[in-house]
Amino acid sequence: MMRRIDRRWVATGILVVLLLVAPSFLKSSYRLSVVTGGFFYAILAASWALLSGLAGQFSFAHMALTGIGAYTAALLGRDLGTSPVTGIIVGTLMAGLVGLIIGTLCLRLRAAYLALFTIAFSEILRIALLTEFQYTEGSNGVQLASLYPGITARGEYYVMLALLMGTLGLMYWLAGSRFGLFVRAMREDEEAAAAMGVNVVRYKVLVFVITSLIVGLCGSVFYHQVGIITPNTMQLLQMALVIAYAVIGGIESLFGAALGAFLSRIGLEMLREINILGLHIKFGAWRYAAFGLLLMFTLRFAQNGLLYPIINRFFQQQVREETVAKRKEPAEVQA
Amino acid sequence: MGLHPTVIVWGLLAGPIWGLIGAWGLPRVYRQKGLGASGAGTVGALAGFVAGPLLLAPLWYFTPELTRRWSVGVAALAALELYTLFAILYPDNLCVTNRDYVLNQVASGLTIGFIYALMAVGLTLIYSVQGVISFAHGQFYMVGGYVSYYLLQLLTDFNPIIGVPVAGLATLIIGMAFERTFLRPMHLGQIERAGEYAILVTFGFGFFLEYTTLAAVGPFSQKTGPFINAGSFVLGPLRLLPNRLVAAAVGIGLILALLYLIRYTWLGKGLRAVSQDKQAAAVSGVNPLTMNTLAFGIGTMLAGMSGATLIPVFTWVPWVGATAAVRSFVIIVLGGLGAIPGALFGGLIIGLVQALGAGCYPDPSKGAAYKEAFGLVIFALVLLWRPTGLFGREQ
Repeated sequence: MMRRIDRRWVATGILVVLLLVAPSFLKSSYRLSVVTGGFFYAILAASWALLSGLAGQFSFAHMALTGIGAYTAALLGRDLGTSPVTGIIVGTLMAGLVGLIIGTLCLRLRAAYLALFTIAFSEILRIALLTEFQYTEGSNGVQLASLYPGITARGEYYVMLALLMGTLGLMYWLAGSRFGLFVRAMREDEEAAAAMGVNVVRYKVLVFVITSLIVGLCGSVFYHQVGIITPNTMQLLQMALVIAYAVIGGIESLFGAALGAFLSRIGLEMLREINILGLHIKFGAWRYAAFGLLLMFTLRFAQNGLLYPIINRFFQQQVREETVAKRKEPAEVQA
Repeated sequence: MGLHPTVIVWGLLAGPIWGLIGAWGLPRVYRQKGLGASGAGTVGALAGFVAGPLLLAPLWYFTPELTRRWSVGVAALAALELYTLFAILYPDNLCVTNRDYVLNQVASGLTIGFIYALMAVGLTLIYSVQGVISFAHGQFYMVGGYVSYYLLQLLTDFNPIIGVPVAGLATLIIGMAFERTFLRPMHLGQIERAGEYAILVTFGFGFFLEYTTLAAVGPFSQKTGPFINAGSFVLGPLRLLPNRLVAAAVGIGLILALLYLIRYTWLGKGLRAVSQDKQAAAVSGVNPLTMNTLAFGIGTMLAGMSGATLIPVFTWVPWVGATAAVRSFVIIVLGGLGAIPGALFGGLIIGLVQALGAGCYPDPSKGAAYKEAFGLVIFALVLLWRPTGLFGREQ
């Protein structure tokens, strides 16, 4: 037992140190920004895994909530001239508030209905942002100031890394606490959980609000770095990408989903064009088509994702064998 | 109209406030008198909204039995009142001043509504047999349109109508192949958490189809030639577009064919049997797995056919499916999941709402952009208020 925990902490430590020193090796600001984008999608995928993998609420409103955070910050900065920090705080709270409203409205809705409702919400929001161009400048989007004057790609990298570690740490703490236990119990059987004394209403809304706050925060920070937010970021296909990342990483593991998003993001970016032996190949949209195929086969043949089983094997080998051995016995007796 | 703004503000506020009082109070009154309170909230809300205490007080005192007639009646009153309010606020709007314009909007909404219904009927058929909402439905619609487009690139002299059966065949095959590979394991119990798997795998397939098409045909907008080259067709005050009329006729024909198939053929009986009770169907010699595959295939075929019907009317891009899919979700939830007549009515209602909403929105340039949003607002209300829809089976 002790050895397993040690191994985990050591691995986490090594990973963190690697990520901290990575900018010195990446050098070009293009590569740095790709990795920073990877961090952003890692947060999104992990929080989506918390919401749908652990709590079983299939929301398609994640990108919309990111957009709410970013648009709030952008409009505040543009029209009232507030500092990015104020914009980020208000944007985060705004996303949380909208999450609270959606969470409360959707309490009675079951899985497929919740998915439909959140799709409808995102689409209404996107259409409204496109149409009310006198406030939002339509598809041109709203510009955002940089986080602080003279920020470098390296600075942005560290900001996003800190955000990733902070939110992942928070989400891990939540998942391991009574909160995580309760939402998982609700996912398996809501009525049974209620009968055992879980305040179903409170926790269902709470998990929605918490993930909304997280994506609102990272959305408003990230788009301050990108410098512009457009309604296109809220398209259903963007949401599909986040879901695909989370599923490929492992929907029931926060770290798996985050790693899945990070690696897929960078992988997709690297596949944009390839030079092999002087052959110059542009993949364009084909890489996403292949990615969609990978998503479907992952769902069909590896429901726990592609990365999560590997991570699990690495850290929990002894425990896994132990439980498997224990499980076999009663099954054989029954047979 | 010389109404003082204060009156308008109070008029606007009074309705919702009385509506809230009605929604909160009326079910309590009914329960206190030991009567069934189903529908009391709805009727209370609408009655309070329409006439405030004038209508709430008699309801409170006499507590009549609230049949469907009551809810329809108060809903109609509410609609009338909203229209009057709209007319007072925007006296110059075309929808207030020009009756022929309204009639034209209604006609064009109903015309397009039949095609919307055709696509939604496919989705609701899949749900009624499989219990799965296909999140790839919009992409089948998109693929159907492209199949028709490329067929007509080969056969340039033909009418676009020949694209419809070919697109139907192509999407039928794709749909059945997908069902066989990815959804059948779910029905065989090989997959944990079937409900979530169904959402994700259909969504993933839609993602795959959309990007494959994008990679293959490129992000350009395309359109086939029209069904008929003719000026608008005048009927009394109505000016109808012949191209859309043909599309609507194709839609009506296909829906009738589907209804015949479902009602009078052995296949239709099998599909209905599986949708009612899988095990009983299996006992009577209907293979539920085959019916699942066929239902999915027929559903996607209808989506593909409606795509092929609409590509001569609208322009086509690889991401055209998302909007169409969302529209179909709206329609089937409005009509009740799994109810085919519901999907038909839902399609017509959404067609109407879109046409009137886009035509009457105070700022015409924005009205067209909000076209889809009007349906979505109704959808959100229906989901929250009556998730079983208008024709839905109680779960």
